[in-house]
Formats: sequence, structure tokens, C-alpha cells
Amino acid sequence: MSTHTYKKFENAESGELPDRMTIYQDCMSEFNESPINSKRCRLLISRLLRLLAQGETFPESEATALFFSISKLFQHQNDSLRQAVYLAIKELSGISQDVLMATSSIMKDIQNGSELVKPNAIRSLTAVLDESTAFSAERLLKSALVSRHPSISSAALCTSYNLLPIAEVTVKRFANETQEAVVDLKSFPHKNLVGEYYPNSTFITQYHALGLLYQLKKNDKMALLKMVRQFSNNNTLKNQLAKIELVKLVNELINKDSQLFVDFQSLLMEWLSNKHESVQLETAKLITNFATHNSRLISSELFASAVTTLQSLLTVPRVSAKFAALRILNRISMISPEKIVVCNPELESLINDPNRNISTYAITTLLKTGTAKNITSLISTITKFIHDVSDDFKIIIIDAVRTLSLNFPNEWKTILNFLIDVLKNGEGGFKFKNNIVEALIDMVTFVPQAKEMALENLCDFIEDCEFNEILARILHLLGKEGPSTSNPSLYVRHIYNRVVLENAIIRSAAVVSLSKFALTKNDPSLSDSIISLLRRIANDKDDEVRDRATIALKFIESAKKDTSSEAQTLLQSNYSFDFNALESKLNTYISSNTDSFKTPFDVTSIRKLTEGDIKALDLKRKQDKFTKGEFETSVESTPGMIDDNLISKRADSSFAGPSAHDHQQDLLATKYAEDLMSIEQIKEFGPLVNSSQIVALTESEAEFVVRGVKHLFANNVVFQFNITNTLTDTALDNVTVTCTPEVEPSELEELFTIPIDRLLPSAEAACYVAFKKTEDMVMESFLTNLMFTTKEVNPETNEPFEGDEGFQDEYDIDSIFLNAGDYIKSSFVGDFTKAFDELPNEEVAVYNIKENISLQELVDRLVVNTSCLPLENTQYAPSDSNSHTVKLFGQSASKGTKIALIVKLIKTSKGIAIKAQGRAEDATLCADLVNGLM
Amino acid sequence: MSSLSLYSVQAVLILDNKGDRIHAKYYQSPHVAEDARKGLMQNVKRQKEFEKRLFQKTHKQDSEIMVFEDRLVFYREYLDVTLCLIGSMDENEIVLQQAFTAFKDSLDLILNSGIDKRNIQEHYDMVLLAIDETVDNGIILETDPATIASRVTKPPTNEPQMSLDLDKGLLGAWGFAKSKLQERLQQGM
Repeated sequence: MSTHTYKKFENAESGELPDRMTIYQDCMSEFNESPINSKRCRLLISRLLRLLAQGETFPESEATALFFSISKLFQHQNDSLRQAVYLAIKELSGISQDVLMATSSIMKDIQNGSELVKPNAIRSLTAVLDESTAFSAERLLKSALVSRHPSISSAALCTSYNLLPIAEVTVKRFANETQEAVVDLKSFPHKNLVGEYYPNSTFITQYHALGLLYQLKKNDKMALLKMVRQFSNNNTLKNQLAKIELVKLVNELINKDSQLFVDFQSLLMEWLSNKHESVQLETAKLITNFATHNSRLISSELFASAVTTLQSLLTVPRVSAKFAALRILNRISMISPEKIVVCNPELESLINDPNRNISTYAITTLLKTGTAKNITSLISTITKFIHDVSDDFKIIIIDAVRTLSLNFPNEWKTILNFLIDVLKNGEGGFKFKNNIVEALIDMVTFVPQAKEMALENLCDFIEDCEFNEILARILHLLGKEGPSTSNPSLYVRHIYNRVVLENAIIRSAAVVSLSKFALTKNDPSLSDSIISLLRRIANDKDDEVRDRATIALKFIESAKKDTSSEAQTLLQSNYSFDFNALESKLNTYISSNTDSFKTPFDVTSIRKLTEGDIKALDLKRKQDKFTKGEFETSVESTPGMIDDNLISKRADSSFAGPSAHDHQQDLLATKYAEDLMSIEQIKEFGPLVNSSQIVALTESEAEFVVRGVKHLFANNVVFQFNITNTLTDTALDNVTVTCTPEVEPSELEELFTIPIDRLLPSAEAACYVAFKKTEDMVMESFLTNLMFTTKEVNPETNEPFEGDEGFQDEYDIDSIFLNAGDYIKSSFVGDFTKAFDELPNEEVAVYNIKENISLQELVDRLVVNTSCLPLENTQYAPSDSNSHTVKLFGQSASKGTKIALIVKLIKTSKGIAIKAQGRAEDATLCADLVNGLM
Repeated sequence: MSSLSLYSVQAVLILDNKGDRIHAKYYQSPHVAEDARKGLMQNVKRQKEFEKRLFQKTHKQDSEIMVFEDRLVFYREYLDVTLCLIGSMDENEIVLQQAFTAFKDSLDLILNSGIDKRNIQEHYDMVLLAIDETVDNGIILETDPATIASRVTKPPTNEPQMSLDLDKGLLGAWGFAKSKLQERLQQGM
């Protein structure tokens, strides 16, 4: 080594680290020296590890050389150096070769080393052993596991745990010792203390032992139950982490078999008042989680005590406990806000908590508990402090208020005043203002009462708004909504002001907006003024503005001549396309271009959505967002870092509300429809009128999983059966579904069946059955049967064996019903009561449901059966009351006639009584729907 | 991964006052096949970007705990360093808090003159040992700071000269033995 590098490295006592090569050379020379200088070696190892922690890495050859030099240091008996050596071995074993060579030195230490280094030695085994050598550590690990010394025992347990994936057979032999380690309270020996600290036994060995024991027995339900029984009594577990592990074990058990819950109820009650906050918390988490899926099994007292426990955690000084309790409350608030209203005083006091994360959670939770009664006071509480908090916090609050406005349209005045106040007086960036404007746009769209006031205030706002994007959006909104208001000329003035004062982007947006006022019905005189305004604008210095003005003038002219002309629809469009479908169609059009775009793009096959449809979809999506609890992920995460962890969390997110998967189903339905239209025979039926929700026709665990979708055409019906073959060794040939009408004679005439030629193991395919129907609504149910020929599959080729004739077989699946709901699309209306009263035909029906289901389950079923949109936040049945009223709105898929339903549910000991009152433009539809509700 | 898994800690970080790492360790369950190892940022570039983003959220925000990119983060900002511990969203917050406190307090114990960047860099070997005694491959190993500190050795002093100078006679040998014994006893206390 040159003196130069040596110097450099001495200078680097702290702070800057020498470069990788210097460290490498220093290590190589120092470690191979004799006698070993323990102080220098530990210093060098420390530098080496710092380098690795910075993210530097060594090529494999160098790493291997380092690894071997370091293992030479085993000759030196200094414990202090030895600990550093083990650290280095653990870090280097990942990047160097032949790490097994160090095993014998490590094992020698485990047998004869001092108590101080034994745990380090044991834990380093994880890094050096592999599948073929893991068994060699069996005897050593076993004797370490039963050691009286907690650190040694814990080290052995953790190492066994780490080795489990590669040495399950070996580790399984420790089951008895592990079991003993759980109950054994190991404390530190009082003699032989090294150093100046006196270790306290936390009995954490119990936690490690319990974790390992679970892994060993996880497939044996009886053994797990025994574990809970054995370890839950008489304070067997002293360590709180171990206790939490036990709570989690109970959680696992009841999630697999919810019937077990009853047996654990008293235990859980006891745990709720455990002296450890963490145990209380975990138990409360378990109870509230479980309640979302199995609300019937859980007694209301238990749930209430869980909430009380959380409530008391809100007042403890420890930040993490408060935070954790708030997180749970926040999740409850998304599903059953009424249950946590008792916590409101505590939540209110946390709004001003110095910890921003806590105050954020508190306020959003509080807002979700909002009911028609307390909204006003909630809003006034927020108004007090909203101006003092940071931007992203404000955005969270605005989002929460926005949800409130959708759920409590009757409280629009308070909410609107609040929004206007923050819009005008609040300081904030683009994102903040944009959120408020979006909230206002939502109100304009979904809360008709608030429309004019909101629009007027938006007009004021654009007078001094600095953000182009927001301005353009507001101008578009004014153009869309303004003409139908009572005083359209007011908006014209504001819009024209923009043309005079703003830049080209805004001016062109304003032109489009203005042109929409030309056809206003309320105020015919407006038309002439608009034309003269547009004429003036047609001399604008910007091309785009001029073009738009000229086109608008042309349109207005031709629309005035002929009211049914195309120009009319171009000026005031009342439908738009399904954008997902449009996008995918355009993509295929562009990519499959064969005649250099001579064939024009065909838009007729794309679903057109009217204003009402879009609103319905929008509202649904917003309500979904609310229940899905996206708050946590959308607010606090930045995009782009989503990993599988997140996705799995979403998938099994225990707080998904009833309609969480609807949107996904929407997309799926679009896909199915596209598949359908690619089949020649079906294409002849003309445009698809409506597709139903996907209904399961078998248990999801059945051998063949069948799900049905009903597609309606003007004169035809097509049943689509999606069949999944879950068998691993059998292929199905010529799969068909026979549909036999339950009542003869049938009004439907079967046309053809498109079978699946071959369904390979674990594949999914669709079989179609088409019928001819009259133009009227036809409702029928069909007995269905799956018919197929089974053939054994050659596992090598994944094809059936040659010459295998197979067996004819059939499989019963549930009946498929074509009911009134299939003729209905969900639709939105702002003022439900008014819309309901205006509809002419009324029909009433009464049902009595004897099944033991909760109100919520029944509401979910109603929504699916009727395909209507639940309005005014009635899709959530309160869990503390025995009655509920659902308001549903929809329209006929073929004719577009409106239908509204008010369904009253009363739960008694005998079952649930339903009174459905329906009103519709179409009397038959109404009668059919109301009478075919269940 | 089952919620009963002992692998509850995802990472332990020590960042300086610019958000650069002083120490960073991301834990992965050992001996799990490569393709099954999901998520937690295997490449150093992504790790460092994550740390930068994290630092922007933690710097001058004294809230101790937060949810960041679908992970629970516990942190404490000192004069020129920030200590962080990261765990999964489904983990019990108080448990992770305890692990974090153990990590933080054990550093407090072993770094005599307080937690700051220079001290951590100078005693990096001890800091590393303390972390290693707190979390092993993501398993919380110990939550008592004193126990952790008791298992962290100081760097060896220069090689003790054990050879006795017999010229000084028995008295000298007695004196040497006595001083050694006293030293041991003091250490023992």
C-alpha cells in the first residue's frame, strides 16, 4: 500500500469516506496481517459497511476476496471485533461466493463462544446456509433454542424462522422446543455483565417463539385453536408483542371460519381492556374489521366497547396510539359513521393537534360523521381554522366537504357558503383553487337547488382568476348550464368580459361558451345580442378565436332556419360517447389501417351516453371513491410507486363498501359487449341496448365456475355464460349451456348456441345462447344445464390424449332470470322527490323476506336487481336502526322513460318487510319492476 | 404475506440534514425466491429517490408518525440527522413505535454525546450493531434500549499489554492485578 493512500485514510476520521478502492485495499492488507490489530480491523470493517450502506457494491470477485479475508479474523478472540465480523459476514454474503466456507468457524463460536457473541453467530447462519446445508445446523439451533439466555434463544428462533422456507423439515423438528419457549419466561442472568447497561428482560423470546410456532402449525386449525386457549389464560404471555401476535392469530382464525367468533367474544372483551394500549388497539382493529363483513355475528355491545376503547386511545399522550386509533375510526367512518358519533368531542379537540397528520385524520373523520343535523356546526368549526393550515391539508378538507355536499344535498346552503368563502378569501395554489372549483362544479351538476347561486359566484371568481385551466373549465360550465337558468343574460356579460380582457386561450373558450346562449329558450332577445357580439369577435387578432367565432355564427344561422338541423346538436350537444369504448375503437382503427384511412371511422357502434347517464356514472364513481377509502392512498402517496403490496391490499381491503367493485364491473361489461359485437351472427341483431350486471351461477369454489351476463337487443336476447374450468387434468370439449324455460310456452324463441370448442384446464371462455323476443318486455326464468365432453389432458402437451373419446357429462348450474331490472339503466336526478311526484303511473307492492339477512345486504340486492341508482345516500342502511328507506332512480334501456322507486324496509323478528312504491312514465315497466323486485 | 408474519420492519434509515443517507437498510425476507420478492425497492436508485421524497415530508415536520406511500413511517428529526423506521400499513402502530423507540433510545445510550451526524459517523460500528440488535432481517429482535445497548460492544482499545515486568517484583504484580480487578469490577457495576 502506498503511503499516500494510507495518509488519506487516516485523515478521514469522520465525515467523508475514502473511495471504494482505497477501502478495499486497506481491508485486504490489514485483515491478512499477523498479529491482527483488532482496533484497526474493526474500524476498517465499519468503513466497509458504511460504504455498502451508501449503496456501493463490490464486484463478485472482490467481495469474495473480502469475505475470505474477514473470515481470517476469526482467529482473533476479541468479542468486540467478532461482533463486527459477523455484521460484515451478513452484509457480504449476499454478494460473494462460497460463503458456506465460513460455516465451520461460525458453528465453533456457537458452541464455544462467549455469551455475548453467541447470538450474533447464530443469527449470521441465516446468511451463510443454503438449502443443502441448512440441516447441518439442526443440533446447534436446537440446543441454542432451549438456552436459558433470552438473547441466545431469540437468535435461534429468529434464525429458524428465517430458514423456514429452505429447511422446513429441519425446523419442524423444533416444534416442541418452540412450544416450550413460548411459555418459558427467560430472563437475563445476573452474573457476567458486560458493559455498563443492565438489560431488562422484555420476554420478547415469547414473541419470536409464537411467530415460529404459528408458521409450523398454520395449516392445522385445531392446533391453532389450542394455541389460543393455552396462551390466552393466566398471563402466560408477558410480552406485549407476543400478545398482539395472539390477537392476530384469533383474527386469522375467525376470518377463515366466522362461526368461531362467538367462542372468542369474551376473550376479545377482556383484551379490549388489556393494560397494553397496543393490545387494545389490535383487538379493536380486529373487531371493527370483522364487523364490516359479518355484522350479524357481532354483538352491538362488543362493537360499542371497541369504539369506546378507541375513544379512550384518542386522549392518550402517545402520538402513535392516537394516530392508530384515528386511522381505525376513519375507516369505520366510511362505512358506518353513525357508530362513532360518540367520539366527536374527542375528534373535535384533536382538530387543533400540533401533529398535522393527526389533525388531518381527525377532521376528515369528523366530516364523515356529518349528518343532516350537525353539518352546520361542523362547517362553522372548520371555517374557523381553514385559513391557518397548509395547502394540502386544505385540499383534504375541501374533498371531504365535497363528499358531504353529494350526500346531503339538502344542506347545500351551508356548504355552498363555506366553499364560496374559501374560494374568495383563501390563499392557495392552483391545486387548492381547482379543488374548490371542482367541488362547486359537482354542486352545480348534482344539486340543482344550488346551481344558480354557485354559478353566480363562479362568475365573480373568474373576474380575477389567474389560472387558465380553471377559467376554461368554468367558462365551459357556464356555457353548459347558463342557458337553462332563469337569467342567462347575466352570464353573457361575465363571459363577454373575458373576451375583452383575457388571452387567446380564454377568449376561444369564451366564444364557444357564448355561442351556446344563442339558442336560449328563456330569452329569445339574447340571440341577436350574441350574434352581434360574435360578429365583433370575428375580427379578433388570434386565429383560433376568429375561427371559432365564425363557425359559431354559421351554426347559429343554420340552426335558426331549421331547428332540427345538425347545427343545433353541434351547438348544444346532449350526449357524448363512452370514452373508454371510443378510445379503444380509435386505437384499433388506427392500428388496423389497411386502406390508408379511406373507410371513415364508424362511431355508430360506440355507446352514446346522454347527460343523465354521465351524471349517473359520475355520481356512482364518486360514491365508490368515498367507500373505497381512497383517502389514505390518494392523499398521502405520490403516484408511480405502486407495488404489489398495495394491490394486494386493495384486493383484500377489508373496508371495501358494497359497491366497490361496480366500476370494475362496468369496465368488464364494456369488454364483454365488445366481444359480443365481434361475433357475426350477433352483430346482425343491431346495436346492443343494455347489458346486465354479472351474476354468479355457481359457487366460486365449484369445479366449473359459471357467471352469466344478459345482453339485450331490440328484438333479441343473448345470454353469455363465462365458464372457468378449475380442474387441472381435464379438458372440456364442445361446451354448451342448455336453457329450458321454466314456464311453457315461452315467449322467447331459441335461435342458436355458440359453444366453446375446447376449454383447457384453468382456462375461461364464453358460450352464448341467443333468443328472439318480441319488442315488449319479456320476463322469464330459465333452468340451465352445462353440457360437455370431458377429456383427460396429457400433462406434457397440455392437450387431450389422441383418440380419447371422452365422456358426455352435464353439470347443474343455477337458473338465470331475465327480469325487469335488465331493461333498466341507472340514471341520475337532482331532486328525487320532485321527480318522483311528477311521474304519472304508480304501482305498490309488499314483500316479506324470511331469510335472515341484514338490511344492508337486502339494499345491495335491491340495487343489483333493479339496476337503478340509489340516490340521496340511501344505499347505506344504518346498522343501528331496524328500518330504512331506499330511493332508486333509473330509466328504461330501450325507450329512455324514467322510473323512480321508494322502497321502505322494516326489519322485525320474523324477517324483513318491504313496501315498494314505484312511479314511472311507462306503466307496464313500472308494474313489472315493482312486482318482480325479489 | 400473512399478517402474522414476524417480518414487520421494512427499513431502517438514518438521513442527514439534506436527505442524503448516512445509513440505510431495507429488509427482505431471506430465502424467499427472487420472483416472489415483491416491492420494497431493490434498486439503490429507487431507494434513494424514495428517501429524498420521504425527507421532504419529514423535514421540519415534527409529527413522529405518518403514512407515506402506503407505508407507516416513524421518524425523529435531530439537529442534523433524521432517524426513520418504516413498516407495513397493516402492522400495529404501537409495536412499530416501540421498535423505533428502542432503536432511537439505544443510540442515545451508546452515543455518549448525543445523536448527531458526526457522532453517528464516528461510531458507525456501534450504531450498526445497535440496529442489528434491534431488527434482524425485518424481525423486531428486542424492544428494550438497555438490553440492546448492553449487547453493543465498544471498539477494542489498543491491544492490552499483558506481559508483566517481573523486575518490579511481587508488589508490582499485585498492584497490576489489583488495578485490573478494580477495572473489571467497575465494568461489572
